[in-house]
Amino acid sequence: MHVVDWVVLSATILFIVVYGMWKTRKRDSVEHYLMGDRDLKWWTIGLSIMATQASGITFLSTPGQAYESGMGFVQFYIGLPIAMIVLSVFFLPIFYNLKVYTAYEYLEQRFDVKTRTFTAILFLIQRGLAVGLTIYAPSIILAKILDWNLAATNLAMGGIVIAYTVIGGSKAVSETQQQQMTIILIGLFVALMVVIWKLPQGVSFGDSVKVASQLGKMNIIDFTFDPKARYNFWSGILGGTFLFISYFGTDQSQVQRYLSGKTLTESRLGLLFNGILKVPMQFTVLFVGMMVFVFYQFNSSPLHFNSDNIRRLMDSPYAEQYSTLQSRHQEVFEQKRAGIYDMIAAERGQNAEQLQEAKTKVEGLLAEDNSLRKEAAQLVKANTPEAETKDTDYVFITFVMNHLPVGIIGLLIAVIFAAAMSSIAAEINALATTSVMDIYRRLIVSDAADTHYFRASVYFTIFWGLVALGFAGLASLFDNLIQAINIIGSLFYGVILGIFLVAFFFRKVRSNAVFYAAVLSELCIIGLFVADKWGYLQLGFLWLNLIGPALVIGLSMLLQQIFSHGGEEEIKKAQEL
Amino acid sequence: MNNPITDSYPPIMGTWKRLYILVLLVHALVLLLFIFLTFFY
Repeated sequence: MHVVDWVVLSATILFIVVYGMWKTRKRDSVEHYLMGDRDLKWWTIGLSIMATQASGITFLSTPGQAYESGMGFVQFYIGLPIAMIVLSVFFLPIFYNLKVYTAYEYLEQRFDVKTRTFTAILFLIQRGLAVGLTIYAPSIILAKILDWNLAATNLAMGGIVIAYTVIGGSKAVSETQQQQMTIILIGLFVALMVVIWKLPQGVSFGDSVKVASQLGKMNIIDFTFDPKARYNFWSGILGGTFLFISYFGTDQSQVQRYLSGKTLTESRLGLLFNGILKVPMQFTVLFVGMMVFVFYQFNSSPLHFNSDNIRRLMDSPYAEQYSTLQSRHQEVFEQKRAGIYDMIAAERGQNAEQLQEAKTKVEGLLAEDNSLRKEAAQLVKANTPEAETKDTDYVFITFVMNHLPVGIIGLLIAVIFAAAMSSIAAEINALATTSVMDIYRRLIVSDAADTHYFRASVYFTIFWGLVALGFAGLASLFDNLIQAINIIGSLFYGVILGIFLVAFFFRKVRSNAVFYAAVLSELCIIGLFVADKWGYLQLGFLWLNLIGPALVIGLSMLLQQIFSHGGEEEIKKAQEL
Repeated sequence: MNNPITDSYPPIMGTWKRLYILVLLVHALVLLLFIFLTFFY
């Protein structure tokens, strides 16, 4: 990396961190430390919510996804604005009235301590395992492409975050997130402008979008109802809505962001701000990826985007085979480029027949190129059996490193760092808050002074920071660990949401019914997942977010019926409450 | 009896109602744009 890029990267990160630490340097009570004085304005809340959700991998993987299979991934987010309204109407007023620190605290007031503890523990397992990956996933890609030391990258990314989160608490997280999100939005805009500016002379922006559309990359919406498909309109609007109600309404890393708002109105506006901006932002990230695809139709691309894999391959007996594939890839590229110019000419001349002919030719060449890429991946696998052959995560960063001007490269690496750091900080902060409030203060030491809990909060923040760094370090040793952690995380959301939905909308259901229903539902979800893995059924994972709450609601109503026989007094008490 | 858990659903009305409708309308327009780009562009 050029020295100018290093300066841009370091200056951006240092400015954000030093500013955040300086602005929040005096924290001396639990309320200040964990809730940041509850004085945030709506735009800070909105940016903070967006920054928490956007991780480093968002800016590495998502453009690659559009490059590979088009813009359909945006459907994942189409339930999000609806979720924001549901939360704003039903969840926020209750959290505000009760002045809770964590979402799980409400569950004790509504049900009992065991339901609160069970849900808090599900969150701690899910988030505690995943936080290491929030560091590791972008680190491994940056380390490979930039030839950095992985442990040092992990440590730089995680260490800086731990420092400012420990020193400044929740307020430092929100203050830095505001700056980080600003950098992310600027970086995204710059990337989009540069990729458009890089189009060859004589090819307009409109031409390039038409070409992408003709080649199936603009398949944004798919109305086909197919439970097996991962992303379509129906899974997005149904499964996605539930997933986002669950994520934003019951995941402490998000709940803590908007509970730090000055008033209920500020928090609601923050959520709606996210509801309006999130879909266009994801669309833009995907659009950048699609434009990178167009860029590589006019400029030669690597046959395999993970340059670390190629370096190893070129030092192996497979080097010659790879070179042969590379030459063929180059020939295909040149023919394809000519075909695409033909498509543009036909499109401009509105010659449908010529367009179809050129399109068929280009599609054939794209298919041939894909099979060449697969062959290259097989060579990578043959040379290094443990190597990751999927290279879509490396597409965008390779484009950035090879084709963007000096200075912009530093800015875009800073975007990836900023996105990663903003998520890690919110997660560590939320894990510490839940550990102190729902476990330590509620179950272990319940009558100590405020300073005691303040110190406990600082220690728990350090503890979770070290856990995150530890997992990030371990992830590089065990490939399967990453997959396992991702799976475990996605299995808990639906059940946690189910507990909250029963709490909010099913007033007759009491604590024992919901508790046992939640335990049974979690077992069912794991059963469904195993059945899917072993091939007994095929189910897109988004549907689990719909099945989980449905199970908890159904079972808790059934169990309540059973338990309520002979328990009229408890029901009467519940109705009075 | 006043209870924050059960008395906390304010009716959706006035400015908030209009704001929620506005968010849904903006989202619907974005979806229409996506549909246009997918099927007619």
